[in-house]
Amino acid sequence: MAVERAAGGSSLIDVLDRVLDKGIVIDAWVRVSLVGIDLITVEARVVVASIDTYLKYSEAVGQSVPVARPAVESRPYDELAAENQALRAELSSGGARQPVARRRRAGV
Amino acid sequence: MAKKTTKAKERRVGKRPAPVPAKAAVKMRREKPVSRVDDPQPGGDAARGKYVYCVIQSADPLKFGAAGIGDNGMEIHTVHYRDLAAVVSDVPLGVLDSTRENVLAHERVNEIVMRDHTVIPMSFGTIFKTRDDIVQLLRSAYDAFGDVLSKMRDKMEFGLKVLWDRDSIVKDIEDEDEGIHRLKNEIALQKGSTYFARMQYGRAIDAALQSRSERYGTEILDRLRDVAVASRINKPIGDKMIMNAAFLVSRDQEAAFDTRVKSIAAEHDKLTFKYTGPWPPYNFVNIRLKLERV
Repeated sequence: MAVERAAGGSSLIDVLDRVLDKGIVIDAWVRVSLVGIDLITVEARVVVASIDTYLKYSEAVGQSVPVARPAVESRPYDELAAENQALRAELSSGGARQPVARRRRAGV
Repeated sequence: MAKKTTKAKERRVGKRPAPVPAKAAVKMRREKPVSRVDDPQPGGDAARGKYVYCVIQSADPLKFGAAGIGDNGMEIHTVHYRDLAAVVSDVPLGVLDSTRENVLAHERVNEIVMRDHTVIPMSFGTIFKTRDDIVQLLRSAYDAFGDVLSKMRDKMEFGLKVLWDRDSIVKDIEDEDEGIHRLKNEIALQKGSTYFARMQYGRAIDAALQSRSERYGTEILDRLRDVAVASRINKPIGDKMIMNAAFLVSRDQEAAFDTRVKSIAAEHDKLTFKYTGPWPPYNFVNIRLKLERV
């Protein structure tokens, strides 16, 4: 029916969806103290806690990882996702189709 | 800006000879005094911090006008470490509220910078106290930023939300699915309790909706595959939305992606496509930073 194209910054919801917890994120507790702490004189340094880029193309809807997952090592998660996928395949081939609740891990 | 704790400011101003412009009022957090604000910063103004919008690759100083956070006429400029640059503007020190105005300003600056540069967007609301702190940030995460910048080079994000009219789809399902059709008739004709039949009907409709929305989603993803580098599926919002995705698209494929989205939309008269962008690659970069004491 309709396709509406809008520039990035034209919808507040779309902007909020992105800017609050994506891109370069500084840990919440650091952020709070950031304005009060001189990173150098306090003898603290910035370290990269995790770095993820998502350069894969999704195979299907409902299989991709929620963006705000906690910064755990990615391998166990991938294994879990693979297992999940296998289970789903089993489910649908078994005939009895059940709505699969989407799992969403709480973000930090 | 809401409250101004002018007393604290005056005290500081009294100690230091550098005059603080009247505009630069400090919004102090009340629960904890910002203890280090009094530290002398060589060449810096203690009442101001630097708001960071994004990180780009550039060894030369750049300016991007004055349309930044706070609309205070401060010029958007860059802070450098080797060939990396943070795009920043001066703001009053303090916690920044995520008001509509501020959030949109953050995004607007990213979009301006993005016209000529590959950006790694900063999440909203990060203020550093001094230029040196930002240099320190760029130095500490130099490799990570460099790596991500090279992966994102000349790529942009597009958002695609697909919505349907749930009621009309339910009607279609009732017409097309024999089992559901029969159940519906049963409920209409039944004299006694229809509780069980209604439960069954509800479950069957849910399952049918779910599988239909997955089918649409898979089809749309497949059709966009060759014009996008990567995609991410986010959780749909509300029961009208069946797909909430972001696509990473090469600059030279933008037109092809655009055409493809429009042609998919033209073939689906029951779906509405909300398509936005270009965005900085928010959905494709996640760098978490923390402080570590040495």
